[in-house]
Amino acid sequence: MNPSLIEHAPPETSVPEVIENVYLPKVAVLDRVVNEIKEVNTFVWHFEDAGEQRAFKRFLPGQFAQVSLFGVGEFPTSLPPSPTEDETFFTVRQVGSCTSALHALKPGDKFAVRGPYGNGFPMEEYSGKNLVFVAGGIGLIPLRSAIVCALANREHYGRIQIFHGAKTPDELMYVPKLHEWERTPGVECHLTVDRTNNDHAASPWTGNVGVVGSLFKKPGVKVPVENTVAFVCGPPIMFRFVIQDLLAMGFQERNIVSTLERYMKCGVGKCGHCCIGVAYVCVDGPVFTYEQIKKLGEDI
Amino acid sequence: MKARVLDRSDVLKITDLLRQRGYEVIAPVGGRGRDTFFDTVTNQNRNQIQIHLPNPYYPPKRYVFPPLERLMKAERSNGDLRIEPTFDLQKRAIFGIRSCDVAGIYHLDRFYLGREFPDIYYQSHRKNLFLVNVACTDPELDIGEECFCMCTDTGPAARDHFDLQLFDLRVPDLPSVDTGNEFLVVAGTPAGEALFANPIFRKAKSEHVARRRAILEKVRKSFKPNTTSWFSAAIQSVSRGEIRDETWDEIGNRCLECGGCTYVCPACTCFTVTDRPLESGGVERLRVWDSCALSGFTRMAGGFNPRRAVHDRRNRRFFRKLAHYFIERELSMACVGCGRCAAVCHGDIGMPSVVETIRRSAALGKEA
Repeated sequence: MNPSLIEHAPPETSVPEVIENVYLPKVAVLDRVVNEIKEVNTFVWHFEDAGEQRAFKRFLPGQFAQVSLFGVGEFPTSLPPSPTEDETFFTVRQVGSCTSALHALKPGDKFAVRGPYGNGFPMEEYSGKNLVFVAGGIGLIPLRSAIVCALANREHYGRIQIFHGAKTPDELMYVPKLHEWERTPGVECHLTVDRTNNDHAASPWTGNVGVVGSLFKKPGVKVPVENTVAFVCGPPIMFRFVIQDLLAMGFQERNIVSTLERYMKCGVGKCGHCCIGVAYVCVDGPVFTYEQIKKLGEDI
Repeated sequence: MKARVLDRSDVLKITDLLRQRGYEVIAPVGGRGRDTFFDTVTNQNRNQIQIHLPNPYYPPKRYVFPPLERLMKAERSNGDLRIEPTFDLQKRAIFGIRSCDVAGIYHLDRFYLGREFPDIYYQSHRKNLFLVNVACTDPELDIGEECFCMCTDTGPAARDHFDLQLFDLRVPDLPSVDTGNEFLVVAGTPAGEALFANPIFRKAKSEHVARRRAILEKVRKSFKPNTTSWFSAAIQSVSRGEIRDETWDEIGNRCLECGGCTYVCPACTCFTVTDRPLESGGVERLRVWDSCALSGFTRMAGGFNPRRAVHDRRNRRFFRKLAHYFIERELSMACVGCGRCAAVCHGDIGMPSVVETIRRSAALGKEA
């Protein structure tokens, strides 16, 4: 655990007279629900108050928000939209009590949101670099924001590659968006599945079969290593293997970035749940370089 | 800082003055032995207040960071959702708070207010809080087996962060002079100084200050000398990552995961948030103390728990308190030397014994 890897702002020596209530979420209205894959839906919403909506829209790719379902609780979730898009939405898997309560909502229902929180991806710092996005399964949710944002500012970046893998073709995320990226000039979008389900699929899978790392070695694929940032998000096992592949290709640990998820209650560096080593994932992260992650000393 | 003297018979009048000013006054009371606690002062229990006594196991932290705090209420009607924050704006004064606990509250100030996203709920308690510190001068009653404020530099007499400090000028075996039935009172804030307008306070003379110094010197010698003389060395080892895995394992293996150390700690800050239904049909959101020693602390929805082994959690608490990184982050250390963790721990891994374990392991490491 090397503290010097996490830089923190100097502490304040005086307390402002008027303090904003950071724990108080603002009322949001659910506009519509889009089913992505089994048990994973995208919830398009807006703040009831237009001023709140404008303020929230200043978020950065990679930041997160706290979603309140009063009576059940609050949970942190990634922000998959890019700030350059009009709509605000979450993509959430139904996994615990809060996410189930969100899944039970109907358009027009009200819930509450606060945020955005966390550091986000330093997209401006990456200006002039090649961007390689590697997403396993729902790991594409936090990366979607950075991808869309990079494409909206296409001239600022070098090559852009997207590698997305899922267990089966039915579990590929954001399929319409994937098709759009496949057709976008200047973007290389490669998809793979662990196994096909062609026996009972309406349209058989003709693409690559194998783990997401197998895409790197596919004929015709050349991952740029120099002057490149690799974004990696996915389940722990995928993360470990992709990191191995990237390091073997010659990537520097500090040029691999990911976003961590942890149990969180406050999102603002107070409740203590997300603290790993010297880092509070909520305020020092959730975006960390692999160089930092390796030294935090916990399972990913 | 301004100083005054006060007769022993007038000391409790400070609680009366504060109650007249609208404060709920909290003071330590108790019977014989270790059975002591902080309670709200009433006309009935006023005379049970004790100036010298073993520091209650439950720290007065709860008057700024309650074990259960209502954050907001949410009501639904006709499809609308209304969210109202709820605040407790009661003015409170803690009379007889020990120096270590004053440092504890200062640490909470640094933690909750000293960084980005200052905490409005903490602030609402803190700005209404008045602290009357009593310096620990009675070697029998005030200073316990586990006390190690000498090592954390937080006692036996706080240097700042109180509104008033009372210093008992009577010590049994110091040559008695006519100051023995008086208290030296120091004001740490303008609010504290304002009380000096009352005629119970008289001007202090240089002999009072001299006697305070003599008493302090004597009191310092009544602490167990070896408790944690290695405190700063431990901070160094932890901060440099020099603690060996076996040492952390040894500490972790003795943890019974009761969470007791965190609940009695005047400087622990972790909480969880939970919703509960109200009779009105609405919902209130509460924050409740939580403990990093408990296994569910880091468990996520779906069951993944990145911090699995008990020594991971045990280490977490000591790393958090001893690593220089955090001391610098808050400009304050999350251990104030009160010794409560040592007193309540079944596995004898309170802070002093952890520091001792680290010292022993460092010594062994050098031999190896």
